[in-house]
Amino acid sequence: MITIDEITIVRDGREIIYDYSEQIPAGSITVIVGANGCGKSTLLAAIAGDIAPVKGTITIDDVHPILTSPAQLAQIRAVAIQNQSYTLGFTVQQVIEMAGASVQVMQALELTDLAHRQVTALSGGETARVSIATAIAQDTPVLLLDEPLAAQDIHSRKRIIELLQKLAEGGKTIVVVAHSSESELSWADKVIKQFH
Amino acid sequence: MKKTAPIVLLIVAAVAAMSVGSSQVDDFWSALLNPGSNEIVWQIRFPRVMAAVIVGAALGIAGLMAQGACNNAIAEPAILGTAAGASFGAVAGIATGLVQVGSLAALTFGTAGALLATSITFKLAALRGALSSFNLIIVGIAVSAIFTSLVGITSAVLNRADARSISFWSLGSLALVTNENLLGLIITTLAGGVIAWFIAPMLDRLSLGDHSAFHLGVNVPRVRLLALISLSLLAGGAVSTVGVIAFIGLAAPHIARFIYGPSHRALTIHSAIIGAFIVLVADTLARTIAQPNELPIGLATALIGAPVLIALVSVKNNVWRTQ
Repeated sequence: MITIDEITIVRDGREIIYDYSEQIPAGSITVIVGANGCGKSTLLAAIAGDIAPVKGTITIDDVHPILTSPAQLAQIRAVAIQNQSYTLGFTVQQVIEMAGASVQVMQALELTDLAHRQVTALSGGETARVSIATAIAQDTPVLLLDEPLAAQDIHSRKRIIELLQKLAEGGKTIVVVAHSSESELSWADKVIKQFH
Repeated sequence: MKKTAPIVLLIVAAVAAMSVGSSQVDDFWSALLNPGSNEIVWQIRFPRVMAAVIVGAALGIAGLMAQGACNNAIAEPAILGTAAGASFGAVAGIATGLVQVGSLAALTFGTAGALLATSITFKLAALRGALSSFNLIIVGIAVSAIFTSLVGITSAVLNRADARSISFWSLGSLALVTNENLLGLIITTLAGGVIAWFIAPMLDRLSLGDHSAFHLGVNVPRVRLLALISLSLLAGGAVSTVGVIAFIGLAAPHIARFIYGPSHRALTIHSAIIGAFIVLVADTLARTIAQPNELPIGLATALIGAPVLIALVSVKNNVWRTQ
């Protein structure tokens, strides 16, 4: 369970999130939706421990991400950021194995044929799938994904959603930032729209 | 073959380097196979060949640490201010009369100067929050210019003999290497190399960006600090012993990456071997090509390293995406 308790987040002098509380249940898929610039990615980054609220607390079970060491935090949550870019020519398999076992997750996300391709030579959609695969390979109880469906075709979106549902059934807590309208979110267990 | 070729080439180059010089050695192979039997081969050429190998290895790994810590293709000790800081440290020690050119104490001062200048670069680059690669390079060039200027000013107040030695040393030369500073060089290179080997897997993750590295459990500031210490030990030790040798820190890791891929642990070994090979060949050319005169080694290494820099920005590749 992720508990967000009366948090306020300020970035570049601007109040992005104000006095917001929420509970995200374990073993479910929660989708955060909203217009550009409304603070969806900021909320995800705060749960990930990337940024600290100026007021209030966030806990994953009883752990405060912002007070936890990077190594311990990496055992609790994994993150796929939006617009991941790669500078060095590691192969797809090498990048995923920086997080954990690669074979199963590459099969699930149809990356097996790209296993030995350099990540610097991938398309936008392929790059995003490698980023998602890396987060899943980390095998943590909480999975945080920022716009994982944005650069995907219909077939890949379906594969990713099916995989996330399977992982949630297995007990993982999944939080996804998405641009979709609510009618397209039947696969989510919970949708968060208002967090100001 | 790909794995063993550079080490075989290095051994061949080392033997060739010991066979040539201003004096003719009768029955070279017999002298080579009987260590200590020939003074020219074992007392003069062998320490110099050893110094070239160790300095090259140190600068190769130093470049790898600079590029890995900054996640930037053109980072190297000369660009981050490390080399200029090492020069300043050594020259300041000499100017204050505390140390002599080429002594073990000069190496200590040089390493401290390298650490100081690199720390200033990293600190100033992070003044406005997150440490960006772009800021690191711009601030590094500025810090380098300041320390280079301080070296010039400090040299101006020295007596003529010291100033001449410093002038020769600052252009890069292995001619002044003694057994004493060879020992210091081995210590700083081993210490820097061990740190590099230890943090190599973390640098692999750092190449995914600071945020992604943090998400994978990397303590980014700590890894950067360790890379900075390794870089300062390696480049500080090398520069304070033989002066500034350009482009090795830039060229060796890139050549190694093109051949062996981006994994930092493998690159720690291969950048060292390739750096050692380039410095050895450059030094052998520098001391034989214009006999009886000796050229600064930096002239030869620039001819090898500069094309690598040009190729990096002009040739599209997937080894390191620069655009």
